[in-house]
Amino acid sequence: MVVRDYNDELKYLERIDANSWRIKKGFQPNMNVEGVFYVNSALEKLMFDELRNACRPGMVGGFLPGMKQIANVAALPGIVHRSIGLPDVHSGYGFAIGNMAAFDMNDPLSIVSPGGVGFDINCGVRLLRTNLFEKDVQPVKEQLAQSMFDHIPVGVGSKGIIPMTATNLEEALEMGMDWSLREGYIWAEDKEHCEEYGRMLNADPSKVSMRAKKRGLPQLGTLGAGNHYAEIQVVDEIYDKWAASKMGIEDKGQVCVMIHSGSRGFGHQVATDALVQMEKAMKRDNIETNDRQLACARINSQEGQDYLKAMAAAANFAWVNRSSMTFLSRQAFAKQFHMTPDDLDMHVIYDVSHNIAKVEEHVVDGKQKTLLVHRKGSTRAFPPHHPLIPVDYQLTGQPVLIGGTMGTCSYVLTGTEQGMQQTFGSTCHGAGRALSRAKSRRNLEYTDVLNKLQQQGIAIRVASLKLVMEEAPESYKNVTDVVDTCHAAGISKKCIKLRPIAVIKG
Amino acid sequence: MKNCPALSYCFLHMRNCRSTPCCCLLIRRHRNTYPSLNTSTMSLATAQYEFTDEETQLPPIKYEYLDHTADVQLHAWGDSLQEAFEQCAMAMFAYMTDIEYVDLQEAHKIEAQGDDLESLLFHFLDEFLFLFSCEPFLIARKVKIIEFDSENFRIVAKGYGEKFDLSKHPQGTEVKAITYSNLQVHDKEESHEVFVIIDI
Amino acid sequence: MFKRKLLALDHHAPDSVNINDEREIKNLVLWLENQKIRRYKIENRGVLEADGPQWRANFEKYCKDLASPIVDGSMEEKLEWLIGYAVSLEYADDVGKYKAQTAENISKTVLTAPKVESSNPLDNMDFESADFKKGVLTLAQILNITPHPDHLITLQAVSKVVRERLSQEALDNPNNIIVKGKPFPFQEADLGFDMGDYVLNQAAKILRLLYIHDLRDLQTNINETIVAVQSITADPKTDTKLGQVGR
Repeated sequence: MVVRDYNDELKYLERIDANSWRIKKGFQPNMNVEGVFYVNSALEKLMFDELRNACRPGMVGGFLPGMKQIANVAALPGIVHRSIGLPDVHSGYGFAIGNMAAFDMNDPLSIVSPGGVGFDINCGVRLLRTNLFEKDVQPVKEQLAQSMFDHIPVGVGSKGIIPMTATNLEEALEMGMDWSLREGYIWAEDKEHCEEYGRMLNADPSKVSMRAKKRGLPQLGTLGAGNHYAEIQVVDEIYDKWAASKMGIEDKGQVCVMIHSGSRGFGHQVATDALVQMEKAMKRDNIETNDRQLACARINSQEGQDYLKAMAAAANFAWVNRSSMTFLSRQAFAKQFHMTPDDLDMHVIYDVSHNIAKVEEHVVDGKQKTLLVHRKGSTRAFPPHHPLIPVDYQLTGQPVLIGGTMGTCSYVLTGTEQGMQQTFGSTCHGAGRALSRAKSRRNLEYTDVLNKLQQQGIAIRVASLKLVMEEAPESYKNVTDVVDTCHAAGISKKCIKLRPIAVIKG
Repeated sequence: MKNCPALSYCFLHMRNCRSTPCCCLLIRRHRNTYPSLNTSTMSLATAQYEFTDEETQLPPIKYEYLDHTADVQLHAWGDSLQEAFEQCAMAMFAYMTDIEYVDLQEAHKIEAQGDDLESLLFHFLDEFLFLFSCEPFLIARKVKIIEFDSENFRIVAKGYGEKFDLSKHPQGTEVKAITYSNLQVHDKEESHEVFVIIDI
Repeated sequence: MFKRKLLALDHHAPDSVNINDEREIKNLVLWLENQKIRRYKIENRGVLEADGPQWRANFEKYCKDLASPIVDGSMEEKLEWLIGYAVSLEYADDVGKYKAQTAENISKTVLTAPKVESSNPLDNMDFESADFKKGVLTLAQILNITPHPDHLITLQAVSKVVRERLSQEALDNPNNIIVKGKPFPFQEADLGFDMGDYVLNQAAKILRLLYIHDLRDLQTNINETIVAVQSITADPKTDTKLGQVGR
């Protein structure tokens, strides 16, 4: 890392407009392209504070500030366009969380990096709608929350309740949601309304270590812990009535279910295994990076290809996982209301992935190119008429699901043409942490956090009390700031705001 | 050591319920214990664990959790590097549950191999994380290194604890992965400490 | 080969004469001489018997005797001429009869065949008549369909509406059949690209909407197929012992 005075660092930063900044070449060594990050005034302050803190002498942190990480990614071989920081960006392992970077598939030097995907491969959000309204659910809110909590295995050490054998797992890894469909856990329409139709075709379970499969087997169909959750939400505001109606959202007060989960121990192990392999590949192929954490391999090297195939298997695992929890949520609702999930109209509105690398076609400097787009803590947001989005959303643009944190609002946005050009159809993914976990636990009392949630009328079921403090809304950036910035910058468009009435957490 | 931690846990909550009204919202699931795949071998295994007095001694706590934005940094130390390593593994387990509820009922052995001290520590912790994540689902209260070869970077260690049981052990935070991020091993005459960031 | 000519000569197998088979050729030549040409006396025709010696030389002589103009040609050409010669002899035998067989006369014969009145009234309609056109237009107006300059296309639209919207099923349960579309803000919709011309842009938008309509039908068919397969494969299982499902 180049050590400079804070004021010297500022010379490399230039405001583009009210919602975006440019990171010029030279901010970090060997930058191939410029960096860009999107902020509003509140988020801007957080970003610059982080940089100022890092410039203090004697600073030995685990992670570099987000801006430095964005710039280091801009120095990776084969990157095109720009290294982009979304409004919820915060520092992570190698890549910042909330970072999008695309690499030219036809450049033999281009790389793929597990750090650009994250440990929780295909962590994502799924939104189900119902035809219930808040008045139907409020009287039975506590029972419903308890029923959801009883149905969905959550937290450390929980195990899936859908019986799985090693053979089932192999098939699920290869087939993704097609496996869930075949076994009858989900509906055909669920597949239709899922990114990639719930299956990455290049998945190859033989490229996954035994260790990852062993970790994955007992955890399939579990929610997990950390920032993962299942929430019962109600529509709080509709910004785009027409787009909302295409999603089956008719009015304020309509009840939805949001599931935020990923590939569990399976994905974590795939990422860990790949990082070990790539350390070796980097030495062999003399790949120079600014930060050792940016472990990567050339896309067409053995390690690069193996990782992409294993990552796809992990992505399929995550879709089966979210599908299993969709099944369990439908069961919970059906039992509570003595109606079939079909009669409750519990359709999947959409399912997004916010930790993934995908091969996509984009226009770079007027030419169509095949790119490997890394989105870490960043959601795909394709514009209307894009061939890869479901037919029902051809006119509205792809729904983008932005999960809030415990007790805060969540949003549904839609993709825009401007976002397609500026960020290769990428937008924010959630709130992004502002306070460290340890600090949250020191500064917050779980009773206060729970009292506050109760005052807001939110039923809560958590497996771990520690998490209540760590995941308190105060520990996160304000999701409304994040979403408003995306809307103002034009990289996605606000459609629906959702407010939680019950939270189920790990 | 508590004879029936599950009971005391319920009691704790009943008390909490009285003092803080909102806590009654936290109706913790007391799931049926998981039917073990091989109950017979389990009981056999338990019978095998006749621990010596030394083995049942609990070590003092020599670790702490440091501030970190998204994740948690483990800081562990000891009178030797070996002890610092042991403490680091115990710190990881203690983050997953309230370690007070864990009894020493089984022991499991792991072997780790690295290229240097840093990767040795990484693999040492990764082996224990793996032991927790699938059969035998071990939550260890005590970790003892039996062989510590700092020339060939090899460790053989034993974890003492029991099978993680949701009806007995409170759920803490899930550890997704061990990271190399700012991983530090300090082995000096006067101090032996390690720093590891775990992804959660 | 020679199918039409052999047919005219009432040959027994006009379709299947294989001129690559020497034996068939020999038989054909003998048949032509015996039945049609009759150049030699019956007792002398033996030279053309298929099993006879020096058939090839005898055939050459036969051709010469008939004054065939094909001297150096292939066997195929020689046969062609020979058959044609037989046809001309046949014609000459009864000129009066064949002379009347002109194309005109033949079509007249067909017309004079007793006419069967079609019981389907649609078969007897003149689709191009002004009356018909007017009828289609009136029907379209009743059903609120914008007419197309080609009245037959308008008729297709009418037929579609009647089939889909006025079926017994649709009349009984209109909600199940008739898609309740919401008006699409067509003018404000972003096309995603600009063709630089207002009219072209409007046309492109319409094409896109039609395309999406087709795509929806395709996706619905896909879903129906999946559901059909599911009815065979599906068997969702949960092990309630592992959790407390539905307590």
